[in-house]
Amino acid sequence: MFKPIIKIHDATAVSTERVSRRHILWGVLYWAGWGIILGILCVVGGAVVRLLYPRVIYEASKVFKAGRPEDYKMGSVNLVPGRSVWIVREKEGFYALLAKCTHLGCQPIWYEDQQVFKCPCHGSRFYKDGINFSGPAPRPLERLHISLSNEGRLVVNKGKVVGHDYTLQT
Amino acid sequence: MNIIVQMWRSIFRTGVADSPVHRVFRVVVNFLLHLHPARVSKDGIKLRYTFCLGGLSLFFFIVTAVTGGFLMIYYYPDVDKAYASMKDIDEIVPFGTFMRNLHRWAAHLMVIFVPLHMLRVFLTAAYKPPREFNWVIGVNLLLLTFLLSFTGYLLPWDQLSYWAVTVGTTMAENTPILGAQGPFSVLGPEEDMHFILLGGTTIGQPTLVRFYFAHCVALPGALAGLMALHFWRIRKAGGISRPL
Amino acid sequence: MANKTKEDALLRPKDVYPKEEKVDTWPYLVRKELIAILVFSIVLVVWSLVMNAPLEDLANPSLTPKESKAPWYFVGLQELLVYFDPWLAGVVLPTVILIGLTLIPYIDPDPVKGVGQYAFKKRIFAMFCFIFGFTMWFVLVGVGQYLRGPYWSFYWPWEDMEVAKQVEVTLTNLPLPAGIALIVCFFALGLTIPAAVFKNFYWKAGLVRYYITMTLFMFMMFVPLKMILRQVFHIRYVITTPWFNI
Ligand code: HEM
Ligand code: FES
Repeated sequence: MFKPIIKIHDATAVSTERVSRRHILWGVLYWAGWGIILGILCVVGGAVVRLLYPRVIYEASKVFKAGRPEDYKMGSVNLVPGRSVWIVREKEGFYALLAKCTHLGCQPIWYEDQQVFKCPCHGSRFYKDGINFSGPAPRPLERLHISLSNEGRLVVNKGKVVGHDYTLQT
Repeated sequence: MNIIVQMWRSIFRTGVADSPVHRVFRVVVNFLLHLHPARVSKDGIKLRYTFCLGGLSLFFFIVTAVTGGFLMIYYYPDVDKAYASMKDIDEIVPFGTFMRNLHRWAAHLMVIFVPLHMLRVFLTAAYKPPREFNWVIGVNLLLLTFLLSFTGYLLPWDQLSYWAVTVGTTMAENTPILGAQGPFSVLGPEEDMHFILLGGTTIGQPTLVRFYFAHCVALPGALAGLMALHFWRIRKAGGISRPL
Repeated sequence: MANKTKEDALLRPKDVYPKEEKVDTWPYLVRKELIAILVFSIVLVVWSLVMNAPLEDLANPSLTPKESKAPWYFVGLQELLVYFDPWLAGVVLPTVILIGLTLIPYIDPDPVKGVGQYAFKKRIFAMFCFIFGFTMWFVLVGVGQYLRGPYWSFYWPWEDMEVAKQVEVTLTNLPLPAGIALIVCFFALGLTIPAAVFKNFYWKAGLVRYYITMTLFMFMMFVPLKMILRQVFHIRYVITTPWFNI
């Protein structure tokens, strides 16, 4: 196996020779040198990682209003333009589904005639309630929190995921 | 002295005469040729041995780097302008399409030739001592080649790029532990790998600039640096591998 | 220096610089390189004149096109996504591939066999592994690129991609104990049987090299195995847990 050719002076080795003061000093300096290098690398590395996280992101608000409940037909699936959210109205009430395939994030398409969502990317399929039944998607579509505002409008919060049986009665 | 010969000498540092000494001298004193040793193993330069795959990988890298530079003159990494500037390159800039095609097809050839070069190196067992570490450098070159192609894919900002990159970056979201959606995730959607990669939670302006920086500065720089190391290690291993 | 002799012994100059026949770089190597570059310059220029790089419609975050494929060199990974969950296909498998490639020079137990030749017979196992993996990558690319149509459904070349395919057969999952048993058996057998059968290989590689090699090998074999489980036995997951599925 590999044997070191050059022996680096090992300050910590127990030796029968008399340990001179200079010896110890060099040992301390040697390890202090490594310590400083490591410290600088940590500081700079940490700074770079932190720099990559923007403090402010200019993205559309996660909470948005989506019209009045009466605007939605019973049994319909409606894509809110520019928001990537479907609002579905069923007899049990309203629910909002995030229009992002749980496989790899493509936007599935709603087929009214077959009553399924199909994802074009790798063919995942979901029932109307968002449950996956075919293809590679590992989870049902995410349901988002939906509520009524004071003036009677639907409010969807994309930052708040709710259970798969959550509905909003109106 | 003839003025032409003087100019030639001043540029190439050798005369035009031919003799065994001149041949060696010419390689040693020339900047481009000094990557080579002055004399090489006879088996090593057989076409059937390397198929020139490594050299051609380098050639395709140079072509993409140069043509990419020209594309940079007309391209804006801005979500409102990127697609329009691509259209301009295709339709208005003289020879813009040609430049873009060269860039694209040379990149494709590079992605084909680098793995083929790796295959050749494996089949001839050229990774064995003392060339182990050059193989490791090679694996990193392969990874960088793929990353370079992937980051370049977003820049045209068309449907193809947008959705291919959506699929690609969502994988980062599914990383175990470090991705928000992956198994055993510990980080939220605004702190995971996906967020660093995109500079946000969806593909947008920050993503485009990040990919632009990676594609035009960081990755080519890293690739060029590692390539220099790659070539130096070939020389230090005593040239190309040959039967022992 | 006193270290000189030791260093020489380590580098084994006999291996590094064996006796060889040499020729001048100029012109014998330089002219070959020049020809290669000229040939591919012509290829590039002609290709760029006759075929244009694609540019589709402006990116539209609210409309996924019917057929969305990764660039061709990643289509192999995309094809794997049908069989594995994203964290496996997109993260774990590529990482294992890269680690495996990096380790190749260190797990190959023989430092000289086959160097400098296309010696297929001398290194049968090594050649088999590499060519198998390399081919699998390109076969996956081919399938993903040419045999997958809209919604990533499978089409033979003679089938019309415009005709929609019906929903695929329903898939089942293995029960958890059976799944764990399968995976444990798969790796346990893969790690022990070769050691028993190919004793020579085992002793030559040594314990550490042997286990790394066979673990990587079994990982590679796991990919086609999972595909067979899925296509022939209609099994979707071997292991299902609340946190992850395999
Ligand atoms: C950007 C990509 C790359 C470039 C430009 C490049 C370039 C080269 C060149 C010019 C050579 C000289 C011999 C020849 O042409 O075959 C070479 C040799 C070598 N390359 Fe690469 N290479 C690249 C990627 C890789 C990869 C991906 C690997 C392996 C994983 C690798 C491993 C090696 C090794 C081990 C040698 C020494 C071969 C011998 O001595 O026979 N390289 N490379
Ligand atoms: S992203 Fe929907 S199936 Fe892959």
